[in-house]
Amino acid sequence: MKSANRHTRLPAILTAMAITLAFSGTAHAVDDGARAYWKGRDGTNAFSIQYLNLNLQASDTVQFDPAHFIYPNADVEANIMIATWARHMTLFNRASTFSVNVAGGSVDLDASASLDSPFVPPGELPGIAFSQSASGYADPSVQLVVNLVGTKPLISTVDLLNYEPTWTVDAAVMLAFPLGQYDSDKLVNMGLNRWFGRIAFPIKYHFGVFSPGYMSSFEVVPSVWIFDENDDFLGQKFENDPMLQLEAHLTHDFTRSFYGSLDLLFRQGFQSEINGVELGDEIDIGDFGFTLNFHATDNLSIRTSYSSNVFGDKNLDTSLIRIQFVYGWHRLMENMKKLQ
Amino acid sequence: MNSKRKNLSLVPAFATKLTLILTIATMQVNAQAQSRPNILLIVADDLGYSDLGSYGGEINTPVLDQLAQQGMRYTDFYVSPTCSVTRSMLLSGTDNHIAGLGNMAETMAPNQVGQPGYEGVLNKRVASVAELLQDNGYHTYMVGKWHLGRKPDQIPHARGFERDFSTLVGGGSYFDDGWNISWQIPKMPYTEDGRPVKKLPKDFYATKAYTDKTIQFIEEGRKDNKPFFAYMAYTAPHGPLHLPDDWLRRYKNRYDEGWDGIRQQRLARMQELGIVDKGVNTADRLFFLPRSTTLTPAVRVLQGRTMELYAGMVEYMDDQIGRVFDYLKEIGEYDNTVVIFISDNGAEGNNLRAMVAGQMGSFGFLHAMNNFAEDGHNSLGRKGTFAEYGAAWAQVSSAPFRIYKGWVSEGGIRSPLIISGPGVKGAGGLNKKAVLHVMDIAPTILELAGIKHPANYKGREIEPMQGKSWVGMLEGDTQSPRTSDDWLGWELFGNRAIRQGDWKITWLYQPLGTEDWQLFNLAEDLGEQQDLSNRFPKKRKQLIALWDEYVKTNGVIIGVRSPWEQASKQLPNRVPDFDNFPPVRGLETLPYKKLIEVMGGGTEDKK
Repeated sequence: MKSANRHTRLPAILTAMAITLAFSGTAHAVDDGARAYWKGRDGTNAFSIQYLNLNLQASDTVQFDPAHFIYPNADVEANIMIATWARHMTLFNRASTFSVNVAGGSVDLDASASLDSPFVPPGELPGIAFSQSASGYADPSVQLVVNLVGTKPLISTVDLLNYEPTWTVDAAVMLAFPLGQYDSDKLVNMGLNRWFGRIAFPIKYHFGVFSPGYMSSFEVVPSVWIFDENDDFLGQKFENDPMLQLEAHLTHDFTRSFYGSLDLLFRQGFQSEINGVELGDEIDIGDFGFTLNFHATDNLSIRTSYSSNVFGDKNLDTSLIRIQFVYGWHRLMENMKKLQ
Repeated sequence: MNSKRKNLSLVPAFATKLTLILTIATMQVNAQAQSRPNILLIVADDLGYSDLGSYGGEINTPVLDQLAQQGMRYTDFYVSPTCSVTRSMLLSGTDNHIAGLGNMAETMAPNQVGQPGYEGVLNKRVASVAELLQDNGYHTYMVGKWHLGRKPDQIPHARGFERDFSTLVGGGSYFDDGWNISWQIPKMPYTEDGRPVKKLPKDFYATKAYTDKTIQFIEEGRKDNKPFFAYMAYTAPHGPLHLPDDWLRRYKNRYDEGWDGIRQQRLARMQELGIVDKGVNTADRLFFLPRSTTLTPAVRVLQGRTMELYAGMVEYMDDQIGRVFDYLKEIGEYDNTVVIFISDNGAEGNNLRAMVAGQMGSFGFLHAMNNFAEDGHNSLGRKGTFAEYGAAWAQVSSAPFRIYKGWVSEGGIRSPLIISGPGVKGAGGLNKKAVLHVMDIAPTILELAGIKHPANYKGREIEPMQGKSWVGMLEGDTQSPRTSDDWLGWELFGNRAIRQGDWKITWLYQPLGTEDWQLFNLAEDLGEQQDLSNRFPKKRKQLIALWDEYVKTNGVIIGVRSPWEQASKQLPNRVPDFDNFPPVRGLETLPYKKLIEVMGGGTEDKK
């Protein structure tokens, strides 16, 4: 059963990719990223813009549709820009963060349907390689993160000065809106044409001195993704089971203005069904990568990261390159600079 | 043959006689040893007058408070405004201008260089109390800060301490990185038993190491039943304010309230304890220091963080002193040990870090860049930082007095003094009558040990001790070793003072002084706030005459340079200081938490 299902992942992967591209968490894409759940003073704003380049090559055949039509050697490349605004605040007397993501870009697919396939995507011929592409906005999303354990609300500068976290546990809820580009005749789209969301429990452990240049952390973000059904996927109903995700980072300050992180991302689940018929097996992907973050100024951080799948499905090669600029500010801090 | 035999026959008789003589001699030594007390002299570095619980402080010092309960406290004990100067008098029993520290070695003025009494080290015109004790049957141990010379014939081992674990310089890192505060000697030179210590262990923390060594020395030396003199010269709480990790936040947020409130609380406790009389003038906040209630809570948290470290260092030292006491009790020597606890000068309110780091581009600055540049608020107190608590908190430590270390006002030269042990009468008492000086300690120790100060030592003539023994006072025979006619004098960095009875004159550099003589009556004005020169010109003149005598007696040379000659330019501007200074009109007296509430739930700096 498992062997048969090995070839059935691309739609799930594509969908998952679309999900992750459409959603960028708080300020990060694909995974939330290192130090995404660190706390900031109430009233701090951050604006992030990031560019992502994702490449995916299926080196084996992969199952693609309910009649088991095969499209071997599919290649996907996505180029995405994500803009995020986030604000640290106090909610329920807890340290909280609210963020809004808007993403857009393009996705290109190169694949081929087998000669004996009874189903060929509209406009394509069996045995002939075909390409599809999509561009436009992805589904926007919002996320709310509320701290459960580990810190008092960081309402004032005093609270921030006294903030020396060890363990922190948060609850995060994300909801994406089906407002992005979607063409029901295409295999790839920027939007998913359905509601979806995520519940996460980010956990951080800080060790070492909580002071610039000395901060280190181990971060784990277990989460579950939940999807509504897409009732118009190539004219059919497309459903998925929830997907479990585990994200982990080991971060360390090398200097006051430079830190690095080792990144892991595991995903499992997301069993797909079309018209109630189960497709292939579940997603089983594990990415490993690294992040380098440079605080260029008091306000601006520049981050770059790379990751590739090294665990899970052997028939799939992925690589993700990310470049991100984050500009943060707090009104009082800016005013203080004016006075100085 | 016969002759030989005859001679041989004398051997047993001679041997018997020799044995008898030796036995008697040994008995005498043992009897003397058993009758003479051990001396444990503990010196804190830059500890303020009111820091200990037994002197009104809120810092947790149970060991020293207990010592005060067993022994006596004294309110009018004087030291010098700085450390090495005090140490020279402590060990010699005479004035610093005679003992070699007419000025600190680091600040010697051109016209003082090479002059007698200005060697910058404990000179050979004096014999150290350790040398005299060592020569008279005492084990002599020293740990901690020496600061009285670095050459082989100047170090503790050469000046009477048979065992030592010492840093030869004035201060630096408490950790194994061992950086010195001065770039000229980048690493603190340590000696152990006279030999240089090449490497400090990874887990080194100075205050603990000094305690460990003290216990080790006593333990290793106690087999012969000789009494010991142990000089524990802790470097705590001298800056940099360093603490082991698990002590860093021991006083977390204890001082967020700000210095004014804490100082008022101390003054109230000092009145309760009888250390300060009600109605006596105490010092005002120095002109350049803001009222702490005018500072935002965030700034107070940052400022308070340094005081937290300071308090932690004081308590840590107290805890370590407790280890020594416990050990002495364990070996049965505590009850035969006279313990003397003092500070070497007033609290440190100067910006030492800035002074040693110098200007950008200087070697001092490079030294700072290499060793103590870290300044994150959560890094303070750790390796690589140089935290100090500054003038505002130093005023708290110096309460009720004026100014701090480096100045001859009371805040710079008054120290707590606790004495306990055999022969000390009046357990738990407070002596407010005695006017005491650090140079009294050496003659006191010698008298306790039954040793007379010689006129010559190892073939050289030495200066007589100017200090007065306290033994009569300790035994309850007198209230003070001094009469109201006796007087004391100070000079350092050009600042000058004379105290006779309750009267005191000071000459201080501007802007903290007037660069002229001012007259104060300490019985009414501990804070030296009211210059009585115009009301009592004769008294002023009389004390100035004593100053002239002091100069003549001790060979004082006023330096043509002084660290304070630029003080007017170095100190911050005067703060607008009047009642209900905005922006918190009427809120100054509110408790801190209430103030936060009034200011908007902690959002004093609301977004």
